[in-house]
Amino acid sequence: MKNKTIKVDYLARVEGEGALYVKIKDNSLTDVKLKIFEPPRFFEAFLQGRNYSEAPDITARICGICPIAYQMSAVHAMEDAFGVTVDGQLRALRRLIYCGEWIESHALHVYMLHAPDFLGYTDAIQMAKDHPALVQRGLQLKKAGNEIVAFLGGREIHPINVRVGGFYKVPAKRELEPLAERLKWARDAALETVRWTATLDFPDFEQDYEFVALCHPGEYPFNEGRLVSNKGLDISVRDYDDSFVEEHVPYSNALHSIIKGRGAYFVGPLARYNLNFNRLSPMTQEAAHSAGLSYVCNNPFQSIIVRSVEILYACDEALRIIDQYERPDKPSVQVQPRAGTGYGCTEAPRGILYHRYSTDDNGVIIDAKIVPPTSQNQKTIENDLWQFIPKYLDLPSEKLTLQCEQAIRNYDPCISCATHFLKLYVNRE
Amino acid sequence: MHEFFLVKDLIRKITSLAHEQGASRVTGVIVKLGALSHISPDHFREHFIHASLGTVAEGARLNIEVLTDVTDPQSQEVLLENIEIYLAT
Ligand SMILES: [Zn+2]
Repeated sequence: MKNKTIKVDYLARVEGEGALYVKIKDNSLTDVKLKIFEPPRFFEAFLQGRNYSEAPDITARICGICPIAYQMSAVHAMEDAFGVTVDGQLRALRRLIYCGEWIESHALHVYMLHAPDFLGYTDAIQMAKDHPALVQRGLQLKKAGNEIVAFLGGREIHPINVRVGGFYKVPAKRELEPLAERLKWARDAALETVRWTATLDFPDFEQDYEFVALCHPGEYPFNEGRLVSNKGLDISVRDYDDSFVEEHVPYSNALHSIIKGRGAYFVGPLARYNLNFNRLSPMTQEAAHSAGLSYVCNNPFQSIIVRSVEILYACDEALRIIDQYERPDKPSVQVQPRAGTGYGCTEAPRGILYHRYSTDDNGVIIDAKIVPPTSQNQKTIENDLWQFIPKYLDLPSEKLTLQCEQAIRNYDPCISCATHFLKLYVNRE
Repeated sequence: MHEFFLVKDLIRKITSLAHEQGASRVTGVIVKLGALSHISPDHFREHFIHASLGTVAEGARLNIEVLTDVTDPQSQEVLLENIEIYLAT
């Protein structure tokens, strides 16, 4: 019996996350199929038979980049099912933790994933060699978002302090002071980010999209609002299933989400911005205008500016919440489970995230449905590629892949955390 | 989900290495997390514990080293450095 150490040197790989099939015949594009692996099916089944109180923590594990969004959609859906209202400072704290996630996720995307595309680098490592200060600013900004999530969530990635009805623990006002100091730095860095992204080169590419986002009477949306679009949709979250359907597509295990009778739609920062510009804070609106953005933006490549504008908003909003914070008497409101169905939809960094749960009298989950933003955007991404690829047909496959990656990355699909996530299969006839 | 598949791949590799060596158990694992790998040690550890349940790596001591150089060619990677196995001979 003995122990033996083996030297390995092995890089862990993320397999099978994204693949793009492109067919070219006689130098014209004849087919585009985007395949994205979709995890929530597996989680939906896993949730059945679990207690309602477990849903926020289980669904938070779906994604390491946007766990708060999963928690927030889950708690709102459960509260809807049980007739619970969470307001005042508890509601404000939910906005605060959501700010943290936006800052963290958007900074990661803007600096580490999207910027290298614009500056002509294959990845952030290459970019870091020439622009170390830029990469450091991105990392520090991301860290500021992390700190909010870690502070309120109890730990960094899969936060455990969020519950149906509120939180397990709430902070004292003075505990928020160090966070505020950090956020003042972050707000300046975010303003710099907006200015810098505005100087990038953008392909001339605009489409007539249907944008869908939450819309709240007085706030830029995080957790609540009606579901609206620029083409006349205006429904409550409870009616989501009447207007949106998921279609099976034969070539993918993922579902394509469409608006009934209309088709593809677009969720995420661009949709939020276009439908809620006048609800951004004054300094954020001003920064957007100085960056050359109008109150509507139809170029998905400019999502990098819009995302930066949202980082700025999230910093500004977080500071406002901290400033007005007073510790609530109780960390949560009482929850009494009952049989029923609840609906929740919140704005994940990459767009609306819909949850629906049915529970029995004891709050045991009998049915769960989760529609992540990436699957909602999938059809729109394909449509973009149909329009975008024909200009680049003559490029060698390697260069064509980079162009396609950039176009897909506009949507910040969750899979983009894998740097070279895209396997491109070009079939030329 | 990214991390879920990453750790699953790692466990697969560890399992096949242990198998090749005729080991019944993996007692230690050393990994390095690149500065731009966007995965924290706690997060990684948690996924590892879940993913290793019922495998040869269940209960293995996990040693995680976090790299800080953002310009390192492997700074976006998760690297399996070595494993310690238990040979029941
Ligand atoms: Zn995600």
